[in-house]
Amino acid sequence: MFDKLRDMLAGVDADYADVRHEQMSETKIAFARKELTGLSASSTDGYVVRVLKNGGFSSVAFTSPDDATRAAATAAENAELIGRTIEKPVRLADTEVVKDEVRPELDEDPRKIAVDEKLELLRGYNDIPLENEKVATTAMGYADLVRNKWFLSTEGSEVYEELITVRVRGNITTKDGDLTQSVRVAFGGSDGFARLRGRDELVHERTGIAVDLLKAEPVTAGTYNAVLNYQLAGVFTHEAFGHFSEADLIEDSPTMRERMQIGAELGNTVLSIKDDPTVPHQLGHYRYDDEGVAARPTQLMKDGVLVGRLHSRRTAASFDEPLSGHCVAEDYRYAPIIRMGSIFIEPGERSLDDLLGQLGDGLYLINHMGGQTTGENFTFGAQYGFVVKGGKKERMVRDINISGNLYHTLKSIVAVGKDLTLNETGGCGKGQVNHRSCFGAPHVLVRDVVIGGK
Amino acid sequence: MERLLDIARKKAGKVEVYGEKSTSDDVSFENSKLKDIESSIQSGVGLLLMQDGKVGYAYTRNLVDREGLVQNALDALKGGAEADYDLPLTKDVPELDTYDGSIEKLSTTGMVEECNRVCGVFAGKTSGQLNTSAGSMTTEVRVLNSAGTDLNTKSSSYYAYAALNFPGSYSSIFRMVTGKGFTPLSDEDTSYVLNAYEAAQKEVKVPSGKMKVLFLPSTMYTLVWRLLAATGGKNVYEKVSPLKDKVGEKVMSERLTVVDTPLDDAWPGARAFDDEGTACRETPIVEAGILKGFYFDRYYAWKAGVEPTGHGFRPGVTSRVSPGLEHLTIEPGKESFAELLKAMDKGIIVGGVLGAHSGNLLNGDFSVGLAPGLYVEGGEIAGQVKDAMVAGNIYDTMQRVVGIENRVHPGYMGRFPAVLLEDVSFASKG
Repeated sequence: MFDKLRDMLAGVDADYADVRHEQMSETKIAFARKELTGLSASSTDGYVVRVLKNGGFSSVAFTSPDDATRAAATAAENAELIGRTIEKPVRLADTEVVKDEVRPELDEDPRKIAVDEKLELLRGYNDIPLENEKVATTAMGYADLVRNKWFLSTEGSEVYEELITVRVRGNITTKDGDLTQSVRVAFGGSDGFARLRGRDELVHERTGIAVDLLKAEPVTAGTYNAVLNYQLAGVFTHEAFGHFSEADLIEDSPTMRERMQIGAELGNTVLSIKDDPTVPHQLGHYRYDDEGVAARPTQLMKDGVLVGRLHSRRTAASFDEPLSGHCVAEDYRYAPIIRMGSIFIEPGERSLDDLLGQLGDGLYLINHMGGQTTGENFTFGAQYGFVVKGGKKERMVRDINISGNLYHTLKSIVAVGKDLTLNETGGCGKGQVNHRSCFGAPHVLVRDVVIGGK
Repeated sequence: MERLLDIARKKAGKVEVYGEKSTSDDVSFENSKLKDIESSIQSGVGLLLMQDGKVGYAYTRNLVDREGLVQNALDALKGGAEADYDLPLTKDVPELDTYDGSIEKLSTTGMVEECNRVCGVFAGKTSGQLNTSAGSMTTEVRVLNSAGTDLNTKSSSYYAYAALNFPGSYSSIFRMVTGKGFTPLSDEDTSYVLNAYEAAQKEVKVPSGKMKVLFLPSTMYTLVWRLLAATGGKNVYEKVSPLKDKVGEKVMSERLTVVDTPLDDAWPGARAFDDEGTACRETPIVEAGILKGFYFDRYYAWKAGVEPTGHGFRPGVTSRVSPGLEHLTIEPGKESFAELLKAMDKGIIVGGVLGAHSGNLLNGDFSVGLAPGLYVEGGEIAGQVKDAMVAGNIYDTMQRVVGIENRVHPGYMGRFPAVLLEDVSFASKG
């Protein structure tokens, strides 16, 4: 394969070029209520070529190897056009030339498991909520995704890496009269099929929550102190802070760069945040990014102070900061962009009971339903929560959307728990999807969050 | 693709072959400087087989190994997803004007020049950071099936936008234009962005409460998304839609008409047939506030025991078809944008939203952060509210229409006018 890729770059007149080839195969199974609605196993492939020429950098994605020459020529032309137009030429930070092959350690390889077994496993999980009479419908999906990636650059790097992700993800919808409630269930990872086995208890628990939510009260809009569980604290870290640690998002915004200066005191002193794709047995694990740069643990915030950020070769040069190995593409259809690998709040020393006690009166909010940010403000949904009075959990509440100012909220995280948990499924969107985007946190206590009720 | 159909027909009773090819170029400027040019040349073929009441689907990017693709679909079929609907024989669909040949002459250089022109228009007139982009795309789709359908379409599209970002934020005032060919951002577009941005400089504290709220065309998808979820064939068949028994009933203000217009080729993306080869037709969803019907692909129409409506679409070969409204619009009203602000007198403009995808969509509930939220007083934009949200349920909120803009703009999920609503719940730290 590397010979074929080398040939593709042979005719390119450029200062630097690289090409990535990916073969991707996926198995997908879907149930809606009792019915199997889809089962497919497909494999496909494609290429991305990138060219740096005369200070301009450009990429072309293509699917047919017959288009390789045209694609490389187009990338070179567009790079020249950029080079002619911009004032400050694009540079790529120096990186080690690497020749390596990486295959993940798996506890059961999904490629060796018969599709019937995958189907029966999923059917078993799908049957759990359907036994409950309040459950109106389920949508339950299984997916495994195998990406075999070959990366070759004109500097001499040749990297082959396999990324294998499995997941079960679904929605449990309950109904009472005109009221419906929906709860997500999701589990999986990138260290083998075994992770999907024996998860009945989790599905039972989520079914119970979907039923209980029918009787829960909508939360009253207002400003609250709240304890957030690992998913909500993790999605906050990812959405409201993590994205602005991605250097490409702030590179061309002078006002954002000013805010996100290294050394800025952005957070409460209890807060330390890291992104580390190198730890195995977690969803966001990889060895090399899609520029052939080795991933490395990156401390982003230490005791409330901004100390690092996530980089591509281009932004590391432009910011004059160290490489981090975070330039990653969704798949063969895209040029890589800067992505979080596995971002988390580092654990403190408090138990959940300690945090609820410190909270006194407020809300205990659990699990996320997606979030979004502008860089200054963020909004995300909580699956459900409990009113807390005098440190004790009381009635359940629903329809919870949290909104706030990123900078105020980072300062308002006043206590951090000791129970760090990483999430098991990803799906971050930034023009392209990162299925392995991993985030996590311990429980945290936040002051003054705005809750928009119904 | 014909050969694939022939090979597959020997193995399965019903065969559908879907092919797509697309090329695209995108140019982006950040802070008035060229940042990126990205291009893409993609193709793919999807194969659907039905035999003995079961269905299998497989796809490939490069149609080299036809037997292998057929085998993948057969393997999927063995798994046993049930389906036994008829594939359509569709002929004589209307000829639509979907392709503007001038798109082929539009180079990345041309788009860079256009973005430079836009930067020039803003230069020296604002302290805001200008981000602007332009992009072009051509797409070919072909649908072949064992019932004898062989349809193809070629279309072109172009977009450009200009956004002024508020400092330290990606919250912005922006305008987008689309067309089948090159479409410049007009003076009206750029002066709207400039004027609204400047008027929103002052931060204003507005206490929580019920008030008049204007959704811009670019944020109407917050409300429309909930309607799409409740009228899609899947949720109707599964009886989880709150609208399932409400056809013929008034579900929103009589001033609102929401209609899918696939045959309207005045704007890009018109289609005479869907991705399953079913003929497309104009489909009212809500007419003068009355729920008119639902939209289906062939699978969910078969499950629900109704006729397919020509709404079987897929985001690409890697996904199976599902019911989708691809050419949706809300009929414009009578008021100009300025008249809407006058009618509002005092209230909030939803300039951008955070979290439109969260909350109980199916129920019609929304609760979104404002990014930005513009404050209107005396019929004019008087500042910006921060840390604020609007919330409600569309079947309640969309009953209370005060005014509808007299033109539509491209937005997410369709083309919409700005819509002014009253008594909308607003929460803030103010």
